Amino acid sequence: MAWIDSLSAAQIAAGVVAGEFGATEVARASLDAVECRDAEVGAFLQVSADAALEAAARIDASRAAGDPLPPLAGVPLAIKDNMNLAGTRTTCASQMLASYESVYTATCVQRMLDAGCLPIGKVNMDEFAFGSSTENSAFHPTNNPWDLERVPGGSSGGSAAAVAAGEVALSLGSDTGGSIRQPASFCGVVGMKPTYGAVSRYGVVAFGSSLDQVGPFGRTVEDVALAMNALTAPGRDPLDGTSQEFAVDFCEHLDDGVTGRRVGVVPALMEAEGLAPEVRRAVERAAAQLEQQGAQVVEVELPHLDAAIAAYYVIGPAEAFSNLARFDGIRYGYQEEDCANLAQQSALSRAHGFGREAKRRQMLGAYLLSSGVYDKYYYAAQKARTMITRDYARAFEQVDAILMPAAPRTAFKHGELSDPTQMYLSDLYTISLNIAGNGGISVPLGLGEDSGLPVSAQLVAPAFHDRELLTYARALEVAFGAAPVAPACAQKGGELA
Amino acid sequence: MALTETDVRGIAEYARIALDTDELAEMTAYLNDAVAMLDPILEYADADVEPTFHPIGDLANVVRADAADAGRSLPIDEALKDAASTRGRSFRVPSILGEGGDC
Amino acid sequence: MKELAEVLKDWEAVIGLEIHTELTTLDTKMFCGCTLSHDDEPNAHVCPVCLGLPGALPVPNERAIEYIVKAGLATNCQIQKRSMFYRKHYFYPDMAKNFQTTQGPVAFCMHGRLDLDVRGRGAAERPECAFGEGEASSLASASANAVGLSASMGEQMPEGASCGGAGELGLPERFDDGSYRVPIRILRIHMEEDAAKLNHLGGEEGRITAAAESLVDYNRCGTPLIELVTEPDLRTPEEARLFMEKLRRIFLTLGISDCSMEKGSMRCDGNVSLRRRGETALGTKTELKNLNSFKALHDGLAYEICRQAEVLEEGGVIYQETRHWEPSRKRTVVMRVKETADDYRLFPDPDLAPFDLSDEFIDRCASELPELPDAKRDRFEGAFGIKRADAEQIAGDPATAAFFEQAADGLAGKAAQVVANLIVNELAGYLKAAGASLEESGIAPTQVASLARLLAEDAISSNQAHEVFEAMAESGDDPEKIVDERGMRQVSDAGALQPIVDEVLARCADQAQQYRDGNQKVIGFLVGQCMKASRGSGNPKLFNELLRASLS
Repeated sequence: MAWIDSLSAAQIAAGVVAGEFGATEVARASLDAVECRDAEVGAFLQVSADAALEAAARIDASRAAGDPLPPLAGVPLAIKDNMNLAGTRTTCASQMLASYESVYTATCVQRMLDAGCLPIGKVNMDEFAFGSSTENSAFHPTNNPWDLERVPGGSSGGSAAAVAAGEVALSLGSDTGGSIRQPASFCGVVGMKPTYGAVSRYGVVAFGSSLDQVGPFGRTVEDVALAMNALTAPGRDPLDGTSQEFAVDFCEHLDDGVTGRRVGVVPALMEAEGLAPEVRRAVERAAAQLEQQGAQVVEVELPHLDAAIAAYYVIGPAEAFSNLARFDGIRYGYQEEDCANLAQQSALSRAHGFGREAKRRQMLGAYLLSSGVYDKYYYAAQKARTMITRDYARAFEQVDAILMPAAPRTAFKHGELSDPTQMYLSDLYTISLNIAGNGGISVPLGLGEDSGLPVSAQLVAPAFHDRELLTYARALEVAFGAAPVAPACAQKGGELA
Repeated sequence: MALTETDVRGIAEYARIALDTDELAEMTAYLNDAVAMLDPILEYADADVEPTFHPIGDLANVVRADAADAGRSLPIDEALKDAASTRGRSFRVPSILGEGGDC
Repeated sequence: MKELAEVLKDWEAVIGLEIHTELTTLDTKMFCGCTLSHDDEPNAHVCPVCLGLPGALPVPNERAIEYIVKAGLATNCQIQKRSMFYRKHYFYPDMAKNFQTTQGPVAFCMHGRLDLDVRGRGAAERPECAFGEGEASSLASASANAVGLSASMGEQMPEGASCGGAGELGLPERFDDGSYRVPIRILRIHMEEDAAKLNHLGGEEGRITAAAESLVDYNRCGTPLIELVTEPDLRTPEEARLFMEKLRRIFLTLGISDCSMEKGSMRCDGNVSLRRRGETALGTKTELKNLNSFKALHDGLAYEICRQAEVLEEGGVIYQETRHWEPSRKRTVVMRVKETADDYRLFPDPDLAPFDLSDEFIDRCASELPELPDAKRDRFEGAFGIKRADAEQIAGDPATAAFFEQAADGLAGKAAQVVANLIVNELAGYLKAAGASLEESGIAPTQVASLARLLAEDAISSNQAHEVFEAMAESGDDPEKIVDERGMRQVSDAGALQPIVDEVLARCADQAQQYRDGNQKVIGFLVGQCMKASRGSGNPKLFNELLRASLS
């Protein structure tokens, strides 16, 4: 029999449909892989074995009854712990929500389950998604499956690590400033941030409401396409007023190739200070490969990109302050006992419930929104947003997609980046898409020749051209090979019985 | 102009985040660093463009019908389940104007 | 303290109102599909959205937008096509998210106006000196800071907004009967969500002071709420009361709320400051809370004006503060002092797409507007020929107006006025005493029409009409049946009454002679004798005529 991690999501679903193995066997194999590998990786905060086995039993019963099976029947799924799933804890990796049990389910999670996925569990993250390393989890760090001394990236570090370790075939993450694409890059898997509005945010604990977007991780481009179908096919979500209809089949044009397509590279980004030479060379190889496959590579400019990080660290904290105001310990969440009055109870509950970075961001946001400061920063940042969006629009008059790094370097060691503002600057390549709203995808390109760790490139398309991103990603996958399971984890538990 | 500890204490009171003396000093240093990093944004304050508050293109007038969504409303045990302090069918909060406990 | 009339001779009171109205006739809340609560058990109408659970998102109620646009059209506001929802932050457990979703500098409705007709004793509150030209110099609009918003918060202010798009403060127009008409400008009407209810336990019952704990019920949290802010154009407590009454009549007619001040579905705060007559600079204002009846609104403002005058005349200072009206003690007390302006950290809500209302939407709202109270009053006065004051009272309540139109169908002049009298006196009095609504009373327009006919035909007297009305309301029987059963029908047949007249004149020869000698007054005694002899069934007017004829 096969090892669960040797199969893609597409192969698992096909195997279940064909009766090669049952969904229950898949669930058991995935749970076994978690059992055997996660003590070292630390991707999971909570394993929902019962829910996974129940979902698997329903699929097996459907098959036995001769009912048609959904497209991701029996595919093990890990869910970032900022997404509500009724009956599970949704902690956002925070003491604030350590015992918070969801009473409802996020639309994105429900759609993956409706498509046949098995909810294996909830995975680690930076607290409330504030961070790029998953070191800001209140519970435990997550280790990069490629090198356990290194971080998996963040904030969706658990989602990336669980897929890279072969514990699950698919995972969901959220991306506010690069929180899907950067950990995908660090862990050597495919990670996609769809266009803002493509995937419902209902039920996903908000960080920056105008920046957050949910997206999938997988080890193959096809798996990510299947997940995108599951997330968008039922149409726009009436519960999310910013979600939009996005009726395309993401699997349809995967193998169309890139002949005749125009791909832009941005010289200023390729020459930016802090870009590791091995990452730069990898992105250049990717450009050469696309050219070889018939694409035309041209240079484009994004002149206002220098404002993107500043704009992000205005808009993000401002929205975060507002979104996290609700955590006062009254309706849910950590509550300080024996307080003299309400103000003290709220202030101490928040002081002790939130970790350091969560408090920093909220304080920064509360300052930036205060009267007199708002005009200088928040209002200005939203104007910069207009300029950055226009930059992309102009660039996309010349090219169909833009190729750039996803992260400036490969995974760093735990504790290596301790200054928060230095950490912020490492989001240079991902942030502008959250500002402008269009989609991007991080595609693994093998291992860097200096670090021996996964390197990647990011592809960027105009808003709602996300399907094209998958075609480019597929072209690179053909050239560079699909993402392997991290060697230290492969075939460690998880045999399909 | 740099933020003082007094400024930061005021923000913390407003944001309902208690800070002890060490945390106050550290937070003040952080905020000054972070705000300095935001300098590039200042030059956009007078840019002659409309701000983009919603990155959603021309999407507007998103509404729902005035129809009950019974499936979403919560039974009382679910509504109160995650609260640390309740009484009867209500959420309980301590004295709102009670004495003491400046923080 | 001096009397209000004395104070207002020397001081000009500058009053603005903030009126909150819950859209109680909607089925669901502003941003979620929870049904609206009407006195249900605590937390029976809550969901992830209105409880502010992590991850929940708001989606606006379409009909609430329709209602506020109608409210704006009915109060002569400019409907703003483009506007946004904002988040207004303050930490308080009545807001599940610790911010209220409301609107920013641009509300759906800006710069409206209502004209007030001030009559009778209320008109006397505005002293003689307050009708002169001097008033016109005090126009300075205080609108800019009225809602604590800076103009650059992300929205272009509409044309002319900064200097009062609805024009300058207008002068009152005075009429010969002492009444006057005065235009009151409306700054804006914006859409927002109501807060949860707090129940304070321990300490002085029901008050927050010294309460040991409070219980939070989120049923009301998220109820669609519209807030109307007037320009500070009101000058007397009576004008404030009339404005509120007029607005309530309009909202009732639109059918957007039950407008119950008692239940709190319509609530009013007042801002008031004083300045010496002739001054143009505004004084320091206080904000008045707990004005939850028309009487409280009037009396609270009147007290506060007199209090401020006393403080100022004694050389004291008015502090910018929020004060609570205590109707039982007839005084206002300080709730909290505002040392600095509140910083609510408003910014456009990223979860809610902006609005860009189409002409079609606004036109449809306009086409669906019912006939408004002023127009209805004018029509009742013109088409039915009833008195203006009665027309105004009847037109102000949609159910009563519809009732009148059915009862007075096809009538005009005196006959219609009889119907109007029955509605204004008998019906209104009965409903008030019974504490019932028109609908609950079960009284039908046809019944009142029948009663009016009996009166118009002199079949019964007005005194009898009262008795018949009471019996009709209690039993549900038709007036004819009651009149017949009780033998109340007046005999208006001269042939039947003449024998009684003859008998009385024969019995009372002395009085008959007095009449013939020129004592006209004695006829009253003779009519009384006839009524007695007929056991009250004879038509007194006809007796009068027959007696005079017989004696001439």
